[in-house]
Amino acid sequence: MTHSSFDLPKPLLARFEQEADVKLQLIQGGDAGEMLNKLILSQAAPVADVVYGIDNTLLPRAVASGILAPFPQAAGSVAQRPTLARMADTAGPDGVVAGLVPINYGYVNLNIDKAWFAQKGLALPKSLQELSNPTYRGLLVVPNPATSSPGQAFMLATVAGLGEQAAFDWWARMRANGLKVVKGWSEAYYTEFSRNGGSRPIVVSYATSPAAEVFYSKEKISAPPTANVFLPGAVFRQVEGAALLKGASPAAQAAGVKFIEFLRSPAVQQALQTRLWMYPAESGVARDAVFQHAQEPTQFEAVSLQALTAQSGSWQRRWTQVVLK
Amino acid sequence: MMSTRFSAKANALSRQRHTVLWLAAGPALFALALLVWPVARLLWQGLWGEPLAGLPLDDTGPWWLDGHLQWRVGWTLVQALLTCVLCLVLGLPMAWVLARLEFKGRMAWQRALMLPFVVPTLVAALGILALWGPRGVLGAPLAQAGWTLEGSPWLLLLGNLFFNLSLVVRAGMDGLAQVSAQRVAVARTLGATPWRAFWRVEWPVIAPWLASALCLVFLYCFTGFGLALVLGGQRWATVEVEIYTLIAHELALAQAASLAVAMLALTGGMAWAYAWVERSLASPARITPVPRRPVRGLAIWSGWALALGAWLLLCGAPLLALLLQAAQAVGFGQGWEVLREDDTWRAVGNTLRFSALALALATALGVLHALAGQAMRRWAPAALAWRASAYAPLVVSPVALAFGLLLLYPQWLASWPLLVAAYALLAYPFVAKALTAALDALPDQYAQAAASLGAGPVRVLWRVTLPLVAPALRRGMAFAAATMLGEFAVSLLLSRPEWLTLSTLIYQRLGRPGSANLDAALVLSAGLMALALLAFWLIEGRGEPRRVPHQD
Repeated sequence: MTHSSFDLPKPLLARFEQEADVKLQLIQGGDAGEMLNKLILSQAAPVADVVYGIDNTLLPRAVASGILAPFPQAAGSVAQRPTLARMADTAGPDGVVAGLVPINYGYVNLNIDKAWFAQKGLALPKSLQELSNPTYRGLLVVPNPATSSPGQAFMLATVAGLGEQAAFDWWARMRANGLKVVKGWSEAYYTEFSRNGGSRPIVVSYATSPAAEVFYSKEKISAPPTANVFLPGAVFRQVEGAALLKGASPAAQAAGVKFIEFLRSPAVQQALQTRLWMYPAESGVARDAVFQHAQEPTQFEAVSLQALTAQSGSWQRRWTQVVLK
Repeated sequence: MMSTRFSAKANALSRQRHTVLWLAAGPALFALALLVWPVARLLWQGLWGEPLAGLPLDDTGPWWLDGHLQWRVGWTLVQALLTCVLCLVLGLPMAWVLARLEFKGRMAWQRALMLPFVVPTLVAALGILALWGPRGVLGAPLAQAGWTLEGSPWLLLLGNLFFNLSLVVRAGMDGLAQVSAQRVAVARTLGATPWRAFWRVEWPVIAPWLASALCLVFLYCFTGFGLALVLGGQRWATVEVEIYTLIAHELALAQAASLAVAMLALTGGMAWAYAWVERSLASPARITPVPRRPVRGLAIWSGWALALGAWLLLCGAPLLALLLQAAQAVGFGQGWEVLREDDTWRAVGNTLRFSALALALATALGVLHALAGQAMRRWAPAALAWRASAYAPLVVSPVALAFGLLLLYPQWLASWPLLVAAYALLAYPFVAKALTAALDALPDQYAQAAASLGAGPVRVLWRVTLPLVAPALRRGMAFAAATMLGEFAVSLLLSRPEWLTLSTLIYQRLGRPGSANLDAALVLSAGLMALALLAFWLIEGRGEPRRVPHQD
């Protein structure tokens, strides 16, 4: 079971099936949060043996629901190798929490439409506070944290970066300053972002989006038309993991372990960069050339697993109260 | 003597009862297993089930005490009613122009009426935004004049009109075709003004047709999901979007269930009332339709121009804006690339395969449903309930249904029969509805005459009834096929990459950054539109739609 963004080259998947001697059946369950809830609702008769795509913001819910099976410890396995990104602060160097093995990571941050800012001659905001000034009125579009994982990640970044009270004060000011909230990332990026025909030149997206713009551009351009803006309190590191699901037969579990090892193999870690637009979690994997346009930020916000477990629900209610109601 | 005759009558009645049971069993069991039981399971889980582990958000109490949810319910009701009123006011003149005037391109316009129906929801929303959005063809000049539609309820209403106006126009045309030319002529000879003749002679005939369409419009808008999700934004979204958020993202089943029950009661009541209205108004008609006349005279000419212009603006222009973008994507962008990809052709193949299978199933179910309803006419309350039940798949929240199926049949959820069944479930009401209306309008005498000449019931059905209602059946099937090709709600179920369909492929491409993906999505949307149009054209046939056999 994966979220609907999962996409790897078919020859790679076919080779895995041949080498591991298993039949791979992928099931897509919608957005990551939706996928997890579907797994929770169907836990009496699980629909899959392995899940990929649960990220660090969803980890508390996955742990509380008890759907994940522990990952077997074996010498040299992914549960023993160090990773570039850990699922949570409680994890050891291997990054594994409650059986969830990190596969890739990315950053949720603000993207801007370069042409729009050049044409208006407007300086880029230097802080979240500046963004709530009238100069930047009606320029930002964000996905709703209730229905979108990047939306959730961005909200968590503001809370972690500014502190809870200051963060919700900021959101209240942004509401008054013409903030636009949409359902998910696609709506934000493809209908509201000025680069794609919308009216808003600042959007919550990923640090890899400018690179993707170059990769998918019409005439192979050398510089992206959009740019990352890494503001303090507005960058969140999202780590996506894979895990075995409870209720699988021993044979299915063994195949599941092979699949998770496969996801961390150099070939997949190389390929996922320009398929999922994420950074590989396995250390020592070469970056794709186009990732020169996807520099990693030096600073990002983090929320402890404990705080996330205890408070993400109430933060979300509070956000809805402050921004939408 | 008396007793034998009585028992013969009783026998006939019990035979008829058996027929009804046999006919009704298929659709009833299907709806029970795929609709009633899953939704009931979800509601039960929400209202009385054990709370789910997994940190659902705190329950904020019943919806009627929550100001935010009160507003949602109220607005959902208002937008649905508003759309109905707008559809009636705008649609009736358009229907009149199409039914009563003869002009070049009339058939083309008539066929184009179906276009909005076959556009996938998100793509239609993109079309609306391409036209009315802040940078749209018309939106940009409006914004210059300080009149922006962004963040206003108008985008959702325009979206509703785009999808539903043609439905009302079509129904109005069907109704106007049932008006007897003699009766209008008699009224006019007796000195009635054209207006008076319209209100006293024509309106009673077309009212049930319009009521039927408006009922559908109301149900669509009231339970609308995809469109409200995209165009409603956060403020003007509908209850269905709220239910989706509560279930899919917050696992707040209790609140979602109480909200869904309230919706179900309202829409169920609406469907019931409508079935009653339709039944009491429908009467068999054997008439000569009013002949068409050429567009002559200033009043007629300007009416024609206004109707055509308004339709083009509301329903045609968003599609044109979309086609324009797709053409640009092919001409100047990377639109061609997508036509060379394996995924694209696999998706086309899957879309056709699933739709064909589901159409066969939906047709069988729809025909059985309509015939059972016809056989039930003797038992008025049951017949009424049965008629209303044809609307169940349109009334029930697709979100509650999808998640109910997940709770009930997790092991089947990623299997193709369930996928095909889900498509058929959402499409068979179109067949059942079209056929029921046609059977209502069919005089009993034909079947009675055939029976008295010794034809058995199956033979009567095959040789007499079906050929007479064939145009209506084809129309229902054409609607069903078009709906399936661009279905949105089914995407809420789990899907497997090897069953990629065109609409899921479009959503997938829109889920990735980069202009190549946007170009691909636009070209695919245009392709899907063409495919659906072709299917509609092939099924409905070239002939004049629903020509009523005229006698007398």
